[in-house]
Amino acid sequence: MKQTSVGGNKKKLANILSMVVLIIIFIAYMFPFLMVVINSLKQKRDIIKSPFSWLFTIKGLSFDNFVKAFTQMDFLNAFKNSLIVTVSATVLVTLFAAMLAYYVVRHKNWVSKIVFALMVASMIIPFQAIMIPLVNIYGGMLNILNHRLTLIFMHTGFSMAMSVFMFHGFINGNIPIALEEAAYIDGCTHFQTFFKIVFPLLKPIISTMVILNAMAFWNDFLLPSLVLTDKELLTLPLSTYSFYGTYSADYGTIMAGLLLCVVPILILYVVLQKQIINGVVAGAVK
Amino acid sequence: MKSKSNGKDFCIFALPGLFCFVAVVIIPFVYGVYLTLTDWDGVSSVKNFVGLANFVGVGKDSQFWMSLLLTFKYVVFVVVIVNVLAFAIAYLLTRGMKGQNFFRAGFFTPNLIGGIVLGYIWQFVFSRVFVNIGESTGWSLFEVSWLSDPTKAFAALVLVSVWQLSGYMILIYVAGFMGLNEDVMEAASIDGASGWRKMRSIVLPLMMSSVTICLFLTLSRAFMVYDVNLSLTAGAPYGTTEMAAMHVYEKAFTSRQFGLGQAEALILFVIVACISGLQVYLTKKKEVQA
Amino acid sequence: MMRKKVVKSLCLMLILALTSSMLGGCRFGFASDPDDPDEEVKEEPIDTSVDTFEYDDSLEGTSITLLNSKAEIQVALEKMSVEFESRSGIHVEVMPVTDGDSPYTKVVSLYNSGNPPTMAILDTTDVIALAEEKAEDLSAEDWISEAEGYLTEVNGKVYSFPLCIEGRGIIYNKAAIEETLGETFDPKSVRTLGEFEEFLNRLVEAGMEKPLSLAKEDWSLGAHHLQFIYETYDGTSEGAQDVIEKIKAGKMDLASYDRLGEFVDAFDVLKEYNVAKGDPLGADYDEMAIDLADGKTAFWFNGNWAWPNLSEAGANNEDAYGFLPYFMNDDEDDFVNQKIQASPSKQVMIDGQMSSEKEKAAAKEFMNWIVYSEIGQQMLVKTCNIIPPFANNPYEPSDPLSRDIYEKIHADETFNASAIVPNDHWSILGAAMQKYLAGRSDRDELMDSIQQYWEEQK
Repeated sequence: MKQTSVGGNKKKLANILSMVVLIIIFIAYMFPFLMVVINSLKQKRDIIKSPFSWLFTIKGLSFDNFVKAFTQMDFLNAFKNSLIVTVSATVLVTLFAAMLAYYVVRHKNWVSKIVFALMVASMIIPFQAIMIPLVNIYGGMLNILNHRLTLIFMHTGFSMAMSVFMFHGFINGNIPIALEEAAYIDGCTHFQTFFKIVFPLLKPIISTMVILNAMAFWNDFLLPSLVLTDKELLTLPLSTYSFYGTYSADYGTIMAGLLLCVVPILILYVVLQKQIINGVVAGAVK
Repeated sequence: MKSKSNGKDFCIFALPGLFCFVAVVIIPFVYGVYLTLTDWDGVSSVKNFVGLANFVGVGKDSQFWMSLLLTFKYVVFVVVIVNVLAFAIAYLLTRGMKGQNFFRAGFFTPNLIGGIVLGYIWQFVFSRVFVNIGESTGWSLFEVSWLSDPTKAFAALVLVSVWQLSGYMILIYVAGFMGLNEDVMEAASIDGASGWRKMRSIVLPLMMSSVTICLFLTLSRAFMVYDVNLSLTAGAPYGTTEMAAMHVYEKAFTSRQFGLGQAEALILFVIVACISGLQVYLTKKKEVQA
Repeated sequence: MMRKKVVKSLCLMLILALTSSMLGGCRFGFASDPDDPDEEVKEEPIDTSVDTFEYDDSLEGTSITLLNSKAEIQVALEKMSVEFESRSGIHVEVMPVTDGDSPYTKVVSLYNSGNPPTMAILDTTDVIALAEEKAEDLSAEDWISEAEGYLTEVNGKVYSFPLCIEGRGIIYNKAAIEETLGETFDPKSVRTLGEFEEFLNRLVEAGMEKPLSLAKEDWSLGAHHLQFIYETYDGTSEGAQDVIEKIKAGKMDLASYDRLGEFVDAFDVLKEYNVAKGDPLGADYDEMAIDLADGKTAFWFNGNWAWPNLSEAGANNEDAYGFLPYFMNDDEDDFVNQKIQASPSKQVMIDGQMSSEKEKAAAKEFMNWIVYSEIGQQMLVKTCNIIPPFANNPYEPSDPLSRDIYEKIHADETFNASAIVPNDHWSILGAAMQKYLAGRSDRDELMDSIQQYWEEQK
């Protein structure tokens, strides 16, 4: 009895200790965000001279930066563009990647082996290495840049490898083939089997991939900047260009603009959070 | 599934995704490889075939090899710290403590911000906030900007990368831990003298599949570091923190030796492919089939 | 539940952000000096009543693009484009070079995409790199005669339109100096490097501990500082070209090149009195502007493009700011100690390869409009805040820095030399200069890096 209670105390102590460590690390993680939130309310002079102080500033706090960011970014239009691109590309890549991964898992032939190997290898191609050939082909030869559809198509292509990789891991470990065989016996086609039996089972990993891809598309700067030049089509990250000067940047507005960009995706994340945790739980284990 | 319907299956299931992938990634990549054999400068309408001259040029570009060496050093630090930290935090977050969902979300948030903006925020933190703290507290650690000293600037790069990557890896490790059954977790709780040994001999082998994925992801991302490098240090101070990917970009555009830059990118790709391949092979071997 | 709380707080944040438009202007917190009358940047009125420019009606409805690599005039250019369209019917779409891109990279990717800008504002080196293959020959344009001395020729032909003159030197804040010393300051009283050092000493003795700001950025060190060694060879662009050719060909030993030694001497003085001497590579560009405007420092090595930063930091158009030369030795008759470097910096190139004849004609009309129309002339000077390189433009810039350069140009107190160096010169040698600035390398190592850089260019 005595022994256990000592062990219990020890355990308690360990728990408290780990909680404290966790909280410290957590605060360190959140520190830059705190800085962004605080400084988004301040004027440039205060940001530069006293970035850390919150209440005591020379010019006071205001929402001016948000107003400025909102108007200069043409927020609503840019938001609409980002939304169209992000939603379409996310839907496409999720669907295509799930199907492709399913094919690769269930057909152990040389084609699927090569496809999968190629995809894994392509995950380490630096984007800079294909940037110029890419615009050369799609702009110079095909002349289809400056369309949302092109951007959606490219986002889909670029995130395919990683998505297939993740779906592959999930299907491999979590979807018993017996279910499908039962479906075939009932007379389902492959197509029906996939959408009626397999796809619903993929829900956890789907929500994970939705958030990861949506976030990447929402935040991406380099690819859209190559594809879109027409002002009407600019996405949110592109629309903040005017805050950066040649010699210095408009910090307050940048931070306000950043918060305006991040908030929608943050909401999506919180809404999907439970599924994501479950998704990764089920997905990445094997 | 029988091979009879293989062709049809391929068209329905594999083709759409494969088409996007090949059209956007593989074709430009192959075209890029072809460009390494030319003296193209990026804009000229003339492309002369020069054979392997660009690869000979890579051998002579001592800066490239220096940046590659630095990248190796960086990768070692980032991969080790990210994985150890993420593994430890994930372990703490799967012990059923209060508010663990909140913590998980919090640790993931750095991923919500894109690379370039993220670098600017940190640059601001290092060069303004920390120096400001240093001025008011007199801590010598923050007296001068970290970004003006080669060693500290490198440390800053590692720190920011760890901050950005670990959230993602925490999620994967959390998933791994939750996949283990209760008995294993109980056995692994580090309250006895043998705790560490149990962790190593029981938990770690079962976690190897998560480790494989995380190592692969951190390795490839760390090797390709560009956004953060550009926006946080841009190679400063005096070119001491220029990593391979950034050097490649500078070579192609600032120095206007497009073919040479492209050849260096290709060499970088081959190196990373070999290393990641080796890593996946080695860690896969250790995975326990549950 | 935790999640609900998070959702709630997020919604609140969004609502706050969205309703902030209503709250605009409202301040909270503890502000020690909330109201600053100088905060609103006043805009110079443009007189649009007179317009004798003859517009070509056949170009009406044409749409062209202008790639702008001078971020600080993006808004001004957009205003110009609106005004121009309302009169000529030609639409000029102003495309910015976005953050994280260099102008050259942007042009390269646009050419690759088969969709090059009709006009592009670029640095001189970029124009020279692209001119013969891509650019339209502008040698026969009328404005050539108005911009004499400011044109860039490639094999005897002009491919670019000089947009602005920019000058650089040691900016002083007259009020800060006078307040510290308690006497009037005449910029002409400092004539040599020795006298400048003496003057800095006096400021230190009078209580201004570190009277000078020095930017750590590689473009400042590698291009704006170091290029003086070529540009002061004899004060002309041709001379700069000569000396570069000689160094490249190995016909000139850098160790015995006087200007290089003198330059390092001058830089040593700047380094010694640097406000950020304790951490020279931690210096912050915006803070330097604030320090100078506040009078914490008296000098800042920079160019007239620094005005927007100074103005943002609280400086007014009525304040007395100006330039001292980049003193390099103690010979008061040497032109480097008397004159400020000022030369055309940004050039506009017209795409001659893929644009249609009509688009080219529209682009040329836009250039002519800037040079010859009353409104274009005014907008170039007042809206863009640019020192025009065109002799027929009667308007004077209004900010103190540009005005000082402008007056010096007309008083023959400037030298027009710009060195054309390889595109990576600023970044590679900028790094070498940073090392020297930080005290991590000595004079010999700096000279060696310069020598080595040029050897690799062969």
